[in-house]
Amino acid sequence: MRLPLALLLLILLAALIGPALLPWRFDVIDWDAVRASPSSAHWLGTDSVGRDLLARTLMGTRITLSVAIAAALVAMLIGTAWGAIAGWAGGRVDDLMMRIVDALYALPFMFVVILLMVVFGRSILLVFLGIGAVEWLTMARVVRGQVIQLKARPFILAAEAGGSPPRATILHHVLPNIAGVALAYLMLTLPQVVMVESFLSFLGLGVQEPMTSLGILVKDGADDMDLMPHALLVPGGVLVTLLLCLTLLGERLRDRFAG
Amino acid sequence: MLTLFLRRLATAIPTLFAVILLSFLLMRFAPGGPFDGERPLDPATREALIAAYGMDQPLPVQFVRYLGNLAHGDFGPSLVYRDFIVTELVANGLPVSLTLGALALLLALALGAGSGLAAALKPGGRADRAIGLIATLLTVLPSFVTAPALVLLFALGLGWLPVSGWGDGAARHLVLPVIALALPATGAIAKLTRAGLTEVLEQDHVRAARARGLSPWRTLTRHALRPALVPVASYVGPTAAGLLTGAVVIETIFALPGLGRYFVQGALNRDYPLVLGVVTLYAALIILFNLLADLAYGWLDPRVRG
Repeated sequence: MRLPLALLLLILLAALIGPALLPWRFDVIDWDAVRASPSSAHWLGTDSVGRDLLARTLMGTRITLSVAIAAALVAMLIGTAWGAIAGWAGGRVDDLMMRIVDALYALPFMFVVILLMVVFGRSILLVFLGIGAVEWLTMARVVRGQVIQLKARPFILAAEAGGSPPRATILHHVLPNIAGVALAYLMLTLPQVVMVESFLSFLGLGVQEPMTSLGILVKDGADDMDLMPHALLVPGGVLVTLLLCLTLLGERLRDRFAG
Repeated sequence: MLTLFLRRLATAIPTLFAVILLSFLLMRFAPGGPFDGERPLDPATREALIAAYGMDQPLPVQFVRYLGNLAHGDFGPSLVYRDFIVTELVANGLPVSLTLGALALLLALALGAGSGLAAALKPGGRADRAIGLIATLLTVLPSFVTAPALVLLFALGLGWLPVSGWGDGAARHLVLPVIALALPATGAIAKLTRAGLTEVLEQDHVRAARARGLSPWRTLTRHALRPALVPVASYVGPTAAGLLTGAVVIETIFALPGLGRYFVQGALNRDYPLVLGVVTLYAALIILFNLLADLAYGWLDPRVRG
């Protein structure tokens, strides 16, 4: 697991500080070099309107990662709250809340997100709110299961017997104990969210120009691939590496915490 | 079996209803109506148009009418493809999308179940590890990356297959789209088959069958395969959803005249009736596949029939 972690950190670091180190900004046009091949001035060449591809790839990675992290956090927040309430309340409330989750599982998510984009216009904020709002279901199920198991454990019973109000019990005894599992599923949500965001951006429904993301870059690369295949292969490669590393690490974390 | 079917149907219908209601409300509350063009309309004309489309009625009345129209397959007029009603567009696009999806599903099942089986025969072996890694890689490879990469290699590079287009459904035109669409599902199915089989192969009834002297092959086909396919069956619903979603991208990349491409065009042009119609149809299809998956589940595992 060292290699995926190292690769992930490398990508994170590059996305974080890379754009600041380059002489070209991601949205600045070099009129002397349109669709240029890789050279000492532009290490990865330029795109169809003369923007530096390395700068765009780094910036796209940054945007994709930011959207993904924000959306996964939204998903974790909703999922943990929903699952914890359902598991803790039990009985009819639990039944109803989980029925709703089951029903939502049957929905065509991607289409619901696209519908939201169509109706409310396309903005980055909406992209991650929308994605977060549909990716919380698995988290809710897992957290609920954990809470139900915890509820029967002696230390929780002891806390309740000692007169700890439900709020305090949940905050101090239940939540810390599900943090590991929640973190594991946060890691597993990340690649899914990255996938959804790139998918939307690829179709032109997610992040909008002149902003960029890995999905947009793959789309631009695919349009130009007969002339310069590296414009497709570089952002595509970064995207796939990112997805693979996140998935491998997430699965490892899940096996560790959720057994 | 019938009880199971009826019980699932009882949850499927409210779900579909909820989708239709949700998308209907979203469309009605969306900023900007269909008659808010660049040039403001004459108020009288506008009133007449609104009355003609029944949009002056109270919302519940409109919704009931919309449901009634849906019930006999009328999705309303498209706002962007003038002279077309959404039903026509759907009728044109659906066969293309279904052909693509069905072929991809078959390919994914054959390749996935086959390689999962090969991996499970010798758990921990070299083949198992190689297949595991490839399967993981396949599940994370987005189809919008694999599809252009395949085109780059087999169409632009080697020139074996056409770059894009439908070609009236000629096999040559279908190869790349079907493969690109099937790959992610193949990885997932391989993983599930392997997991299911390794678990079942260690159970007592399989060992007992081997002890009775059944050949490994017969043990596998008669006793192990059916329970091992349970996780695969439960994944058919999500797979179908994934294929429909994937088809949107694949149809866009390969310029295929399917439902997905109309959907993307509709979404980009804010063609509400088109988007609504397609979402409703997709929701119905996905709910149908979930229902079929539940039935397959009941057939494979008698314990859930109850």
